[in-house]
Amino acid sequence: MRINRNPLLYITKKILLFLVSILILSILVFYISRKAPGDPLVSYYGDRTEKMSAAERHNTMERLGLNDPIHIQYIRWIENAAKGNFGISFKYKQNVLEVIEGRITNTLILGGIGFVLTFVFSLLLGILCAWNEDSLLDRIVRQVGTAFSCIPEFWFALVLILVFSVSWGILPSSGAYSTGMENDVLNRIRHLILPMAVVISGHLWYYAYMIRNKLLEEVRADYVLLAKSKGLTKKKIMFRHCLRNIMPTFISIMAISVPHILGGTYVVETVFSYPGIGTLSYESARFHDYNLLMLLCMLTGIVVIFFNILGQAINEQIDPRIKANEAVETSEVLSYD
Amino acid sequence: MTDNDFVLVGIKPIKLPETINPPWWRGRPLFSAAILALIILGCIFANSIMTKDPTFMDLLNYSKAPNSEFLFGTDTLGRDIFSMIWYGGRISLFIGVVATLISTTIAVIFGSISGLAPDWLDTLMMRLTEIFLSVPTLLVVVILQAILGKANTVSISIVIGVTSWMSIAKVIRTEVRQIRNSEYVIASGCMGGGFFHILRKHLAPNFVSSIMFMVVMNIRTAIVSESTLSFMGIGLPLEIISWGSMLSLSEKALLSGSWHVILVPGVFLTVTLMCITNIGNYLRSEVNRKESNM
Repeated sequence: MRINRNPLLYITKKILLFLVSILILSILVFYISRKAPGDPLVSYYGDRTEKMSAAERHNTMERLGLNDPIHIQYIRWIENAAKGNFGISFKYKQNVLEVIEGRITNTLILGGIGFVLTFVFSLLLGILCAWNEDSLLDRIVRQVGTAFSCIPEFWFALVLILVFSVSWGILPSSGAYSTGMENDVLNRIRHLILPMAVVISGHLWYYAYMIRNKLLEEVRADYVLLAKSKGLTKKKIMFRHCLRNIMPTFISIMAISVPHILGGTYVVETVFSYPGIGTLSYESARFHDYNLLMLLCMLTGIVVIFFNILGQAINEQIDPRIKANEAVETSEVLSYD
Repeated sequence: MTDNDFVLVGIKPIKLPETINPPWWRGRPLFSAAILALIILGCIFANSIMTKDPTFMDLLNYSKAPNSEFLFGTDTLGRDIFSMIWYGGRISLFIGVVATLISTTIAVIFGSISGLAPDWLDTLMMRLTEIFLSVPTLLVVVILQAILGKANTVSISIVIGVTSWMSIAKVIRTEVRQIRNSEYVIASGCMGGGFFHILRKHLAPNFVSSIMFMVVMNIRTAIVSESTLSFMGIGLPLEIISWGSMLSLSEKALLSGSWHVILVPGVFLTVTLMCITNIGNYLRSEVNRKESNM
């Protein structure tokens, strides 16, 4: 890979790529949502739309600015958005920012904690498997991982609800808190356990497997022999050298995984009726709540595209020192290790 | 003359270790293939396996647990789950295959054009792919399907197909870029071979092995997407039986505690996906082995 010598130019390029991606995404979502069949007035007026006369309809559409050509609507949207005005939600009849404000913390809690836990566990599991390569534990983790990667997330969620909520009745099956207990942390945690389990288990195994493979590649490198001949213990070699060397890869995996975990969170939110922005974006797409849909898509897009570019940048910066075919092929290192 | 004429005296004959050919089934996903074949055959010959009419709503026997009459029980609408599994499996597998066909076709055409195109167009097309790739697929599918309104088998295949071609296209583009300056491709172009001729005769044979794994995995993703969508209520409606739409009854099933409505279709779904994954993994290791020999 070509090494970029001018960091300023490099960063500018990345920022430009980011902005252009966001722009294209916004145009796409805007056009697709408005071109699609369906009546946006239904989300605003509900069933009353059926009783409207043609003139009334026309006036309402005019008032909501839905009669203009799409590109004019789009330019108007961009202008308003630049001033921080994202319009009102047709369904909630509130500023969209206010609608999202109440929900976004829930998603951040679920996604954020899920993200951190996924990576803490996958790192631990990866190290454990690499430490005991081909042991029973290692093989079990690999098998379980393959199996879990095949289970659809929503079905796993259903089975958990079936077992823990329906059969045993020990955990709540939906919502973020029981009515009237918004500030009770314990209650919130109880509601979080099942959704969190689904979010984590969907990705944990795969990342643990990747980390394990990276570590095993590292353990077969020459410097491990040197470190051993210097008399370092296995623990020191693993944690001081090998682990440090896979850190850049680990971080880039983390960055790239954000969209996947986010997408998973949305599904999980729907199954558990968890009041986050996942359920909200699903609703808004279904009921043609244009302004809300736009903002949610932009928010998701910004997070996802940002982390994608970050992941790519980290990957480009990593020096590919150890290629697969250069790695020491003997299992000698390992058998001594 | 016999072989013994050339035996040297005083040298201990070295016995070469006999090369043992591993049995032909070693390392092949036979078990997965067999189960998958069983499921596929069951779905194809659903008509002779089914014990009941899968669409018939038996109002006297709803939410029945598995028994000798209803082998897998009945769902909350009184339909026989055993019959629905085979009947609905057709739709699920059909969507998996058709969506993959669509996405692979788009990927092959897009990837080859990008690979053969001049640099600026190639960069543009790849940037576009990256943008598509960076949006969570499920969200796009949900939005597209929600916007398109009521789904049927074909429309849902198309939605899933047009949202899952990106990573295959990237691989194809890389492969095409490596071989586009080979003599045989240039020669074919000079002799007046059109784009599709070159694609079929010269490019496709070169990249087909490297995308095989991804294509198989695409079938799996398509089946999961369909079931997730149907479950969320924006995929197939209840009348069109598929494994996913069977699971969309699960909320009612949770309330009435009829576990089989949730477990049976899910187990079939998961087992099918696992078999596909195993076969896909086998294909990948095959490709990798060939590469390292070169």
